[in-house]
Amino acid sequence: MTLLEIADLQVSFSTRRQTVYAVNGISYDVEPGETLGIVGESGCGKSVSSLAILGILARNGRVTGGSARFEGRDLLEMPDSQLRRIRGRDMAMVFQDPMTSLNPVLTVGRQLTEVLRRHLDVDRKAARSEAQALLERVGIPNAGDRLSDYPHQFSGGMRQRVMIAMAIACKPKVLIADEPTTALDVTIQAQILELLRDLVRSEDMALVLITHDLGVVAGICDRTHVMYAGRFVETAPTDELFAQPRHPYTFGLLRSVPRLDAGRAQRLEPITGAPRDLTERPTGCAFAPRCAYATQASWDELPILRPVEGSGPSGGAGRRAHLVACHNPVPQADLTAAGIGRGRQGNA
Amino acid sequence: MSIAEAQAAELAVEQPSGLLKDALVRLRRNPGAILGMVLIGAFVLLAIFAPLVAPYGPAERVGGLATNPPGPTSEFWFGLDDQGRDLFSRIVYGARLSLLIGVVSVAVGLTFGMSLGALAGYFGGRIDTVVMRSMDIMLAFPGFLLAIGLVTVLGRGLGQIMIAVGITNVPVFARLLRGTILGQRESDYILAARSVGTPGPRILFRHLLPNSVAPVIVQATLACATAIIDVAGLSFLGLGPSDPGLPEWGRILADNAGRLNQSIHLVIFPGFAIVLSVLGLNLIGDGLREAIDPKLRS
Amino acid sequence: MTDSQPAARPDALVRVEDLKLHFSEGGFGRSRSVVKAVDGVTFDVLSGETLGLVGESGCGKTTVGRTILRLYEPTAGRIVFDGQDISGASTRQLRPLRRRMQMIFQDPYSSLNPRQNVGNAIAEPLEVHGLAEGSQADRRVRELLEVVGLPANAANRYPHEFSGGQRQRVGLARSLALNPDLIVADEPVSALDVSIQAQIVNLLEDLQAEFGLTYLFIAHDLAVVRHISDRIAVMYLGKIVEIADADTLYNSPKHPYTRALLSAVPIPDPQVERSRERIILTGDLPSPADPPTGCRFHTRCPYVQPERCHDEEPLLRPLSGRESQGQVAACHYAEDIEDGRLAPREGLVVRAEPTA
Repeated sequence: MTLLEIADLQVSFSTRRQTVYAVNGISYDVEPGETLGIVGESGCGKSVSSLAILGILARNGRVTGGSARFEGRDLLEMPDSQLRRIRGRDMAMVFQDPMTSLNPVLTVGRQLTEVLRRHLDVDRKAARSEAQALLERVGIPNAGDRLSDYPHQFSGGMRQRVMIAMAIACKPKVLIADEPTTALDVTIQAQILELLRDLVRSEDMALVLITHDLGVVAGICDRTHVMYAGRFVETAPTDELFAQPRHPYTFGLLRSVPRLDAGRAQRLEPITGAPRDLTERPTGCAFAPRCAYATQASWDELPILRPVEGSGPSGGAGRRAHLVACHNPVPQADLTAAGIGRGRQGNA
Repeated sequence: MSIAEAQAAELAVEQPSGLLKDALVRLRRNPGAILGMVLIGAFVLLAIFAPLVAPYGPAERVGGLATNPPGPTSEFWFGLDDQGRDLFSRIVYGARLSLLIGVVSVAVGLTFGMSLGALAGYFGGRIDTVVMRSMDIMLAFPGFLLAIGLVTVLGRGLGQIMIAVGITNVPVFARLLRGTILGQRESDYILAARSVGTPGPRILFRHLLPNSVAPVIVQATLACATAIIDVAGLSFLGLGPSDPGLPEWGRILADNAGRLNQSIHLVIFPGFAIVLSVLGLNLIGDGLREAIDPKLRS
Repeated sequence: MTDSQPAARPDALVRVEDLKLHFSEGGFGRSRSVVKAVDGVTFDVLSGETLGLVGESGCGKTTVGRTILRLYEPTAGRIVFDGQDISGASTRQLRPLRRRMQMIFQDPYSSLNPRQNVGNAIAEPLEVHGLAEGSQADRRVRELLEVVGLPANAANRYPHEFSGGQRQRVGLARSLALNPDLIVADEPVSALDVSIQAQIVNLLEDLQAEFGLTYLFIAHDLAVVRHISDRIAVMYLGKIVEIADADTLYNSPKHPYTRALLSAVPIPDPQVERSRERIILTGDLPSPADPPTGCRFHTRCPYVQPERCHDEEPLLRPLSGRESQGQVAACHYAEDIEDGRLAPREGLVVRAEPTA
């Protein structure tokens, strides 16, 4: 059963002088209990796509095409009142900065009970005890006492837990987490990721994790989409993606991040140039200017997501499919030469 | 342009490089500011070319003394005053005075206010406490009352009046500059400058001030308008420049307040002159504020 | 406690001894609290090496870097730069030394004066030290721009016209202007996009090789630190808990905090991620205004023992009975943990999942 189904979603922002094409047709679906990763650098459109789905785009943003179906109903066509009911109850979102997404002048308990009472038919007392249970669920010590604390009295990690508590308050079927750990320290990040993993497992929730961190994706996602300039350039089961990255951008990302388990001697291979300007829509592949594999076709013709040829045992169809949008996928020989897909690398 | 930039673009069109250059670009898109600039431009032209524009001298008598002097005619556009002087000429020459008052008193305020503010903001600590507490004391008096008091002490020469009005602006500028400097002082680029051994004065003048003056410029424009009103107000209360021949707008207004029923033109025209010049400055000030700090636009 | 610290190495460019920096918070009418941002750290930065300084937010790593450059006044302790004690040096005495030590900042957006063009920003250190002016300075600016991979015409443009990575290059060019010996790089890549980080890391490595620079590389990202550093010092709540060679630290961390930190860093490889053991620390970082007694890590340590940890502060020491190779750790029970005689508290370690 598909919970959330995004098809050909397009979003653009218009300013007085120009239009920025932020999301240029992305499609994905999520099932209960599944964790989906959307990975890309800042400005690739990964956050915008989920804001669009929840109908909370900035005022100058507009969905220009595509559909987003939640349990078969199109979120983009739905009247606002209906969407509001789904948002927060069936679908919830956690943002990068928990401080700005909590109201600083209301206690955490008040904010939590408000969410509960808005969406569920419970009285104040029941909401209060449910709020306490939620804080306990996300691992906040002395949950009962902390209900009367204000957001600034929590540390960054604890605030993110509060945000997650608020997001899962109504047992949503889909949780969208946008860089939920980026602002946190690594040991706290590990705690939060563990909590998310646990929630997906125990509540059979679907998790859409948006991040720039390949390491986070590797540890938690079942399936991963790599996004560049508003499009998915590669999508595959996470294992397959890291073992057999076929898009030059994915390949480039993997080679450019230092790995903790790699030795010092290994030089990083940066991707040259900088992410492209999104004010124009290129006729060809958006990555072509930075790509070592680009040919004339890359500049002339927009590559679409296609199943990877000869991807062997794991190149199956459906949810196991490995798709890449590239005219010249990275050859196997280059993957081998770069030491990718062999588990540990270097002298570790 | 990235997405984040596009989202922000509703607020900010572009980041500042040349402060004035960019501010001017944004000012040009603001109809209010353009109107303000047209108004003030007109007054400046009038002030500069007063002898060419005004048919008569400001003190020149072209008619006889009259209790109820005649209103506008084709010869005397704004009519005559009780001394038989051409009101139009007086108001044109008055533009010189009003602009002078605005500019000089703001300059006085800026000089002292910015020095004190920069001192307090840059050095902090005890200097800051002493400077800011004295500013607080000055702010405890309503500005206009303070000006009245100062004029009483300093005397009623035009120069003294401008200084008095300027002094009331000192705490406003000092506070503003100190606040922005404090905000900038801990920023990385200041730390970077310190880490290469840049001497203090250079840090203040090359780094802190250029990044802190924007709100002060806005405030200065608005203060210019207030100064014109304040001096007009002082004149109206009889505390204006002691020289009765000076064609100061507030004074013309005050002298003729009793003739409101008979010769209304004597009140209307100087009143309009004050309103239009103040309006122009305020429009420019607000436009500048938006242009310099685009976040204020909603 | 200074006597028990390792002695200064003769090849040290910077020697930091029992450095303390306490900020007092609050003030007028409010109760004053003292934040011990740095509370007695000792280490050397050897000439030509990259010393990585890692730790989580609030551990004091940035403060250490800034105090070494004497941007902050140390509360106690000694900073010796190339044989010269600079901990009490005046602004005037410091000026000639400032030529030899420079800083790179985390945020390339806020570390450049928005109203100063790039050429002036790079030339400023030269002017301040009276080394070059006019066309001579212009030539040097062009030279520096080329070194960091920016076009010569960048000099006339303003910071906002550049991307984050390019601004970081401008910052680098400025820090190189005076031919320094030491560069304190405070999180120089953490504000940059993944694909840009590698460009700057490589540039830093190239510059080090070309100009014989010594780096104090401060960062929270252990993967980057391990990649670039020769040696790594790990900080926790104002103290150094472990110092070792980069490879040694990764392969055999001795302090429980280092272990937890290493195990928490995600590795971009699903197979590795599945087979790793993760130590999940409970709780939050205690406040540096009121640090725990004894070992500061004892409130979160999975190996905490009823004795010593709460009341006796552990010193940085080599582990007894084994080849240390310069590795020192501040843990009373490091040997017992290493040899498996102590087990972590239940529930704190997430075992590897069975491989699919």
